[in-house]
Amino acid sequence: MKLVIGGFSQGKLEYVLNRNQDKDCVVLDGKLRCDEDLRGKTVIVSRLHGWIRERLADGGCPEKEIMEFAEKYPECILICDEIGNGIVPADAFERAYRERTGRILIMLAESAKEVVRVICGIGQKIK
Amino acid sequence: MLILIMGGSGSGKSAYAEEYICSVSGGRKKYYLATMQVFDEETRAKAEKHRRARSGKGFFTIEQPVSVCKTPEEMKGNAALLECMSNLTANEMFSGKAPKSYEAVAEKIVGDIESLNRELEVLVVVTNNVFEDGISYDDDTVSYIKALGSVNRRLAAMADQVIEVVAGIPVTVKEKG
Repeated sequence: MKLVIGGFSQGKLEYVLNRNQDKDCVVLDGKLRCDEDLRGKTVIVSRLHGWIRERLADGGCPEKEIMEFAEKYPECILICDEIGNGIVPADAFERAYRERTGRILIMLAESAKEVVRVICGIGQKIK
Repeated sequence: MLILIMGGSGSGKSAYAEEYICSVSGGRKKYYLATMQVFDEETRAKAEKHRRARSGKGFFTIEQPVSVCKTPEEMKGNAALLECMSNLTANEMFSGKAPKSYEAVAEKIVGDIESLNRELEVLVVVTNNVFEDGISYDDDTVSYIKALGSVNRRLAAMADQVIEVVAGIPVTVKEKG
């Protein structure tokens, strides 16, 4: 599994697609499920933060679900916005969303083969 | 030696700062200067979580919500982890009747940390990146952000090393001089 993080609109998906032109890529936008047969494909999850937010709102356990997904698709690429670099919100759900997304990214970064931070379309390999 | 460690919410900056200070403090005593004021269940849980994470690592905890230069004599020549600038800035700015100006707050905090640093062999300061959410805030919050930004810039200029923690991974911002 590879992890790609960075701020909003920094060109993360474009960065990933450009580097995987030779592969048969499937992009799951803000979701972990699709009807297509994903065998033999390079699975890219974009807007992972959107999915985390939905799962938290539904009372789900995104930590467990995303780890299971990464085990099922060991060659997947996960793309997530950095959302923690702001004023801590007054709303409890918003606070929990930022905190848990941060913790999920730490957990994913630990088990990732590679972690890239994208700024202005440029990828910095930090692991 | 002054080390500045920054990161966003849930970035893993605290865990990294603890690990860092343990690796450089040698045989010195390690103090943890806690600036967070506990006032409800959430802050209590947060303080407890931090305490648990530090337990067994040999830290002496001192609660210091404002005026971080007013620390005990016994800390002299030892190592301290000061956490964190976002709480300290809020405490210094909003603890009086009216919010203080961001210039005055930044001046006070940086001055306090300068004197604290003179007393210590190792000082690790944890701060937050609150500058990248693109939201337009009210005047008090903008003033708070400016104070924290000013504190960060001035501490970074003084620091021997600045590290940003991203998803638990340390990224060097200012190389060890």
